[in-house]
Amino acid sequence: MTYIENVFVCIAAPLLVAMFCVGKKHFRVFLFFIGGMSMCLLSAYLNTFFAGYYNADLQDATTQIAPVIEEIMKLLPILFYLLIFEPKPKEVFAAMLIVAAGFATFENTCYLIQNGAAELSFLLIRGFGTGAMHIICGAIVGSGMVYVWQRSWLKMAGTFGLLCAAITFHAAYNLLIAYGGSVQFIAFALPLLTLVIGRILGKLLKHLPQQPN
Amino acid sequence: MIELIDNVSQLAVTFAAGVGAGMSFYKARSQPYFLLTCFFGTFTLGSLHWSLYMLLFNSTPQVFYVSELAWIASFVFLLTLDFTLSTPGERRFHHPAAWLAPVIGVPLMIFYMTHGEILGNLLMCGITMVAAWLSIRGMIFARRQNDVRRNRQFFHIAVLSIIVIEYGLWTASCFWVSDTLTNPYFWFDFLLSASLFILLPATRKAVEA
Repeated sequence: MTYIENVFVCIAAPLLVAMFCVGKKHFRVFLFFIGGMSMCLLSAYLNTFFAGYYNADLQDATTQIAPVIEEIMKLLPILFYLLIFEPKPKEVFAAMLIVAAGFATFENTCYLIQNGAAELSFLLIRGFGTGAMHIICGAIVGSGMVYVWQRSWLKMAGTFGLLCAAITFHAAYNLLIAYGGSVQFIAFALPLLTLVIGRILGKLLKHLPQQPN
Repeated sequence: MIELIDNVSQLAVTFAAGVGAGMSFYKARSQPYFLLTCFFGTFTLGSLHWSLYMLLFNSTPQVFYVSELAWIASFVFLLTLDFTLSTPGERRFHHPAAWLAPVIGVPLMIFYMTHGEILGNLLMCGITMVAAWLSIRGMIFARRQNDVRRNRQFFHIAVLSIIVIEYGLWTASCFWVSDTLTNPYFWFDFLLSASLFILLPATRKAVEA
């Protein structure tokens, strides 16, 4: 049994202290990081609840329930931030990435506690695979939000579309991992591959006109 | 096997159409192409997840349809595209034929709810009914124009075809016959792939009009 609440308290406590010491400028970085970790903790509860509710086995839970719950939970702090504080577009992207990083860090910590840290090679692959996957999903939503929240006609459809894109990407990744064997190495490469494609597409679309309406 | 071929072919079609729409957006930088790219993009993601699941586990998802979320998102984009392409004159225009959408759609939605889940069907049928309502109105309005704006009818016809075929597909899925080509479900799904691809040139005509 993993006492993830205790793990959470242990990791969040120094971050909280640092958050109050660091000053107003970097306050949000810590807040979003802890926010991401909190969402990971809540996702674990919800995943367990829904897996029990639907009587799902491990494969069904990881491929069909976890992606939906985790991506929705990761989006919630950003939606709150957008609706209440109305930040600048660049701040939204950074905030989303920090939330995703907090989420991935806490998930990896729990994984280490459950499975040990003896195999560095596998942990490296996992770190750049599952960890990076959360960041990529965050980047998909974050970069998209920067675009869609500047256009009133696209806010609702765009946010929903981005969330669904992140969920499907996450679910496809989990599918490949759940299948196991050599197929899971395709999954581990997927986030970094997506990052490269994303950078190329980003450069191509760099000269898009800014439409404020 | 035929289901896998059907899904993979649909995935290829929507991916190709998405690339086409993306290239049009890159050249023209207009809202409709952006929305069309989003429509094809999310539809492709849904098909990718569904095909991947079938390919790896030789079955369909049993607990929750992740793909359905992507397909709902794609229809939200299609609805937004339908609304974006309408002119102020079209928005003021009313025709009783538009009510055909809820008259046919609501009983079918209730029928689907009795065969499947409630929320997913409510969302999907609700969105498609509104899109059908806008398309019927838009098609009649476009056909009454005498200039280049008449070409917008092709877009509305394409959207209506997609929605009608989708309803046929969902109805056929309630009466599953077999995993062979004798199952009408596959006829509708192959037709859907074709009509999805037609949406790209139809939107080009509408944007140029």
